[in-house]
Amino acid sequence: MKPATYILLLLSLLAQSACTKEKPHDEKQGEVVRASIGPIKTTVKMVYIPGGEYMPFYGAIDSNAVKVPAFLIDERAVTNEEFLSFVTANPQWRKSSILRIHADTNYLRDWPSDLELPKDARPDAPVCFVSWFAAKAFAKSAGKRLPTLDEWEFIAMADADTFNARSKKQYSDAIIQLYMEKGRQFKPVKQSAPNYWGVYNVFDLIWEWTDDFNSIMSIGDSRTGGENNNKDLFCAAGATSASEVNNYAAFMRFGMRTAVKAHYTIANMGFRCAKDTSNQTTQ
Amino acid sequence: MRNKLNIKQMKMKRLILSVTSIGMITILTSCGGVAGDKPTAENKTAAIDMKVTGEAKVAEVTSAPNVPAPVGDRGPQKWIVNLETTEIEAEIADGINYTFWTFNNTVPGSFIRVREGDEVELRLKNAANSVLPHNIDLHAVTGPGGGAEATSAAPGQEAVLHFKALNPGLYVYHCAAPPVPMHIGNGMYGLILVEPAGGLPKVDREYYIMQGDFYTKAAAKAGLTEFNNDKAVAEEPDYVLFNGKKGSLLGKNMIEAKVGETVRLFVGNGGPNLTSSFHVIGEIFDNVYLEGGSTVSHNVQTTMIPAGGSAIVEFKVDYPGQYVLVDHSLSRAFNKGAIGKLKVTGEANPLIFNKGKK
Amino acid sequence: MKAIGFLAVLTFLLSSCSFNEAKERKLPDNSIFHLTSNWKNQDGKSMKLNDLKGKTLVVVMIYTSCKSACPVLVSKMKQIEKAIDKAYLPAINLVLVTIDPENDTPEKLKTFAQTNKMDEPHWTFLTSTEEETQEFANVLAMKYKKIDPIDFSHSNIITVFNPYGELVIQEEGLEINVEKVASTAVKIAKENN
Ligand SMILES: [Cu+2]
Repeated sequence: MKPATYILLLLSLLAQSACTKEKPHDEKQGEVVRASIGPIKTTVKMVYIPGGEYMPFYGAIDSNAVKVPAFLIDERAVTNEEFLSFVTANPQWRKSSILRIHADTNYLRDWPSDLELPKDARPDAPVCFVSWFAAKAFAKSAGKRLPTLDEWEFIAMADADTFNARSKKQYSDAIIQLYMEKGRQFKPVKQSAPNYWGVYNVFDLIWEWTDDFNSIMSIGDSRTGGENNNKDLFCAAGATSASEVNNYAAFMRFGMRTAVKAHYTIANMGFRCAKDTSNQTTQ
Repeated sequence: MRNKLNIKQMKMKRLILSVTSIGMITILTSCGGVAGDKPTAENKTAAIDMKVTGEAKVAEVTSAPNVPAPVGDRGPQKWIVNLETTEIEAEIADGINYTFWTFNNTVPGSFIRVREGDEVELRLKNAANSVLPHNIDLHAVTGPGGGAEATSAAPGQEAVLHFKALNPGLYVYHCAAPPVPMHIGNGMYGLILVEPAGGLPKVDREYYIMQGDFYTKAAAKAGLTEFNNDKAVAEEPDYVLFNGKKGSLLGKNMIEAKVGETVRLFVGNGGPNLTSSFHVIGEIFDNVYLEGGSTVSHNVQTTMIPAGGSAIVEFKVDYPGQYVLVDHSLSRAFNKGAIGKLKVTGEANPLIFNKGKK
Repeated sequence: MKAIGFLAVLTFLLSSCSFNEAKERKLPDNSIFHLTSNWKNQDGKSMKLNDLKGKTLVVVMIYTSCKSACPVLVSKMKQIEKAIDKAYLPAINLVLVTIDPENDTPEKLKTFAQTNKMDEPHWTFLTSTEEETQEFANVLAMKYKKIDPIDFSHSNIITVFNPYGELVIQEEGLEINVEKVASTAVKIAKENN
């Protein structure tokens, strides 16, 4: 090899390596990291819910009951300490590295740093200021999923004694009372009595993300009663409406769901996980 | 639904819109330096065609019974209106607190004052410690839901609505988040005044009064009560109040005027349920802008203010004394709190009023 | 001879390097190209959203068997296409994403594109899994719900993204301002050329 050629070859190699190095951001690599989820272990007990038919409060199609298949659900919400272990195992979901597309700037707002819970927060209080994307990623890492809206509402029909207490006079009122308490999200989980299914804190701590919260068209303006007068806006408008006008608690819940977007993080909103029952033994 | 324009007007507007839309850009650039449109020349200008000048400024808003300064003869401008929705505990009646939901921490919410043709950027922030989402439906706004859906804000979030004030009048705004009777029942309402070009005629005193009916529970905690849905559905309020609190216009809170002055009251009714029969004992309204609109009636004793409606009443005070403001459905005034006072000071003219022997 | 060959290779490498650097500014935090979901286009080609990088995107979510709102949205998209100066079409990608991945297979999307004369290269149709479709819908804050085996109720949103995947504007409802969407898309295409 002639020296000139040799030098040229060397130069070209150098140029090449410099070039790759200079690339400001290796997206392919970043992508791989982002796509994968490090598994975490949670010890939360899951409750078996046999499912059944139920009448959705909002969004029933032609007033038809909806069949909810059997499923498993966490007996309580995901806690601060569990979420800490999740971000520990999954750096891409830490406060400093989460993508803005996945969470707004309030994500884990009060955490002083990536792996540090807020100073006065109880590790066993429900985690809040988490987006739907983050909740979903957590569930995935725990080998679970978020409950569907129907699953969540199915459980929410119960009071302490019956699986469907919606016709009870006190049902909605009692829930509203719980909803109205400020700062309830700072309390630890499982301090109040479970409902009929053995599920805790359905109403008294936080709003909870559901997998398909974005399936509710809109009752942000509640007077349309769900029957969307503005037929222009939606396909098959008018197919849906609220089934119990006096169930103010449910109105609030659905109002909340229509007011949020998936990247929102909110002071009193967290989540719990669910799972299919297939290959599971009933408890 | 709101139907502020009749069909004819609508067609007119549309026609004007389509005819002018092409020429608009040229007009816009050509009149850049002119300070708005003068009231004399613009009598025929539709609000939609009024051009705003200058940068957006933050609008002054006030809590009852005060109102912001009149618009006077200024031209149309751009305004930023900041409202925050909050859930707070405050006194509703002697020693009893209530969980109010508010715009800017007061019931009624802040008074907004603009003129027709103004362009408003309304920033609705929902306090971070709110439990619920809130929004705003302004009856002064032409568009879907009066902005309710467009402004829906989850706790800690802010929503922005841009609108142009098209119709002059005194309008109610309120939260329309589900369940809406509860949001209104907890105090989420206020007034927005859209003055006509050139402004309303000058008066000496202006005040902001808003009636609302309140439904409460037997106090759950000592001294703190909250919304009672059953009573609301039955439309049986425990309180019917001016400005969200028993005695808000009594004692040292009385509104005032001097003999010989003209008084203008911007009166709204948030409801959620009752219609008000607004009356000032011992006065006759010289002018009433019926239902807050453009028709002025004269020499009125009692004016009806529907839930979600308003009236502007004007009168000259001729004689000193305390004039009692009531909802003339009098059980509400004497038993449920719908009572206030206007204190008039000055010299008595015995020709007008004189107690005594012949 | 060889030297010249090397020289050529070298210049090529160097030039492609600087070219890449110019194009590959770091993806912004809020870029949709970070999403790792897997899609297939109307030709059955597997892709990631990142493969759409570099062009201005006009995106709408629809399903092909829709009889009410979607035909309007599709016609809006065609109006947008018409309102865009032909010179800029190569820099713009008009993207239709199905909310019905079960029925809207690549083949079906291809047929749909052909029947609706949307088969030029600036048209992209995408289908994925239900889960990944839902994720993408949530990024757009688009609401939808399956209401029977063939129908969905859904909100109507057209979104414009810049070549880095950042959301620029969203127009909602069926009265979408075609001019505004088209002019925004052109403006961005110009800025990024
Ligand atoms: Cu509200």
